[in-house]
Amino acid sequence: MAETTASRDTTTLHARDLDAAITGIEDRLAAWAADTGTALAALSGKVTGTAVDKLIRPVVEDLVRTPDGYVAGAGFLANAGLLGPERSYIAWWQGQELEHVDALANFSPNSISRHVKSEWFRIPVETGQAHVTGPYVDFLCTDEYVLTFTHPVFCRADGPVVGIVGMDVTVQRLERGAMPALRRIGERATLVNPDGRAIVSAAPDIAAGDLAAAAEGCSVHPVGRTFRIWSGATAL
Amino acid sequence: MLLTPQGASRSLAAVFTPIKSRGLVDEVCGRIEQAVETGLPNETELAAALGVSAVTAREALAQLRTAGIIRTARGRSGGSFIADDVLPSRERALDQLRELTRLQISDLGLHYQAIAAACAGVAARRSDAADMATLRYFIPTAEEDPLHWRLALSEFLLEVAAIARSARLARELIRLQADLGTLTLLPCTDSGYRGRTTGLLKEVADAIGAHQQAAAEAAVKALVAATTDWLLTEQSKRY
Repeated sequence: MAETTASRDTTTLHARDLDAAITGIEDRLAAWAADTGTALAALSGKVTGTAVDKLIRPVVEDLVRTPDGYVAGAGFLANAGLLGPERSYIAWWQGQELEHVDALANFSPNSISRHVKSEWFRIPVETGQAHVTGPYVDFLCTDEYVLTFTHPVFCRADGPVVGIVGMDVTVQRLERGAMPALRRIGERATLVNPDGRAIVSAAPDIAAGDLAAAAEGCSVHPVGRTFRIWSGATAL
Repeated sequence: MLLTPQGASRSLAAVFTPIKSRGLVDEVCGRIEQAVETGLPNETELAAALGVSAVTAREALAQLRTAGIIRTARGRSGGSFIADDVLPSRERALDQLRELTRLQISDLGLHYQAIAAACAGVAARRSDAADMATLRYFIPTAEEDPLHWRLALSEFLLEVAAIARSARLARELIRLQADLGTLTLLPCTDSGYRGRTTGLLKEVADAIGAHQQAAAEAAVKALVAATTDWLLTEQSKRY
């Protein structure tokens, strides 16, 4: 795929819009994680489920009700040790109506283990780094095809991970935001995750969820911490 | 939120999403009945979790107590518990089978085959190495108990839907599994069925891993047919 320098510059410009949108989500999440850590530290060891709910819910409300926002659901999952030894706690809401997600899990060790063992919790806790899970079909919350952005929460800079904050972004919403830029970049431009799995593609034969490959000679643009745009992609 | 092979049942998780409207007490009763595999929180906790009033939660618990589905113990270690005889059992499953006609069983089987085959076909196109490790985790050994087997089979097919990455197909599969109810426990009590099925589960996984769409569809259809055939054979014994 031969491209002139001029078209590469235009491509970079359009890719930058999408990068700004995803980076915006990641930055907002990082800021929320920092605020949550500070607020939890201020509770000085007396952390209860009710206190966590009070802290998290207003932020989720703000996130999911932002006009043209990307966030379909968001919340917090406590690591063992914050509310008690061997105890976790989920404070997660989704949708305009702020549905409380899987709140009964807080009364059942078996149910909470589902969340604690999931990729979106385990990886930020183990690495101390932000992580994006998916896209995957979310059987627990939205029943939609989603990406879950998660970030570890620390009460002290050198302390343990006390929990994670996370945001669910549906592929549908991302598609509406990404398609104008992808169309301008090229008719086979594709937004992919680090595994090379398509999230949104302008090509008719590449659907969200398909594995794709970068076409020879195509340009590659970073989007957020881990995604890429390939100016041309082929279906595998 | 993503599930892992080590986690508990996914279909059970759907039970714990808050309720919209429609006959609140009935809806709460339904949720509690579906939650039989876990314990129950108290009225106040239940009300908060489901987003209904304590009065509604209490009324639903009372209704279930009258129906003999839960029993309530008082005192220090008290609380509401699911009555032992309503846990998925062979007797309850046989009752359910007796209420169905052969036409209903075979039609349900056809629908289940169509959805499962569609999932398997797309999964064969989209699978990666991590998907395959998760899928194979759900293949039980023939020695495991029937309740474990029933859960593993349902989780295996849900994982196929997860690998297909189609939200609509996944939702349809969950709905079909709810329609089948405890019926699927019956064949799992038969060691011959468990042996045959282990082979079929491996065939499905191999085909999906090898990106062989037609083979994956055929194997998953055979898997569903094994269940339907077993149920039809059992049902015919009534006559």
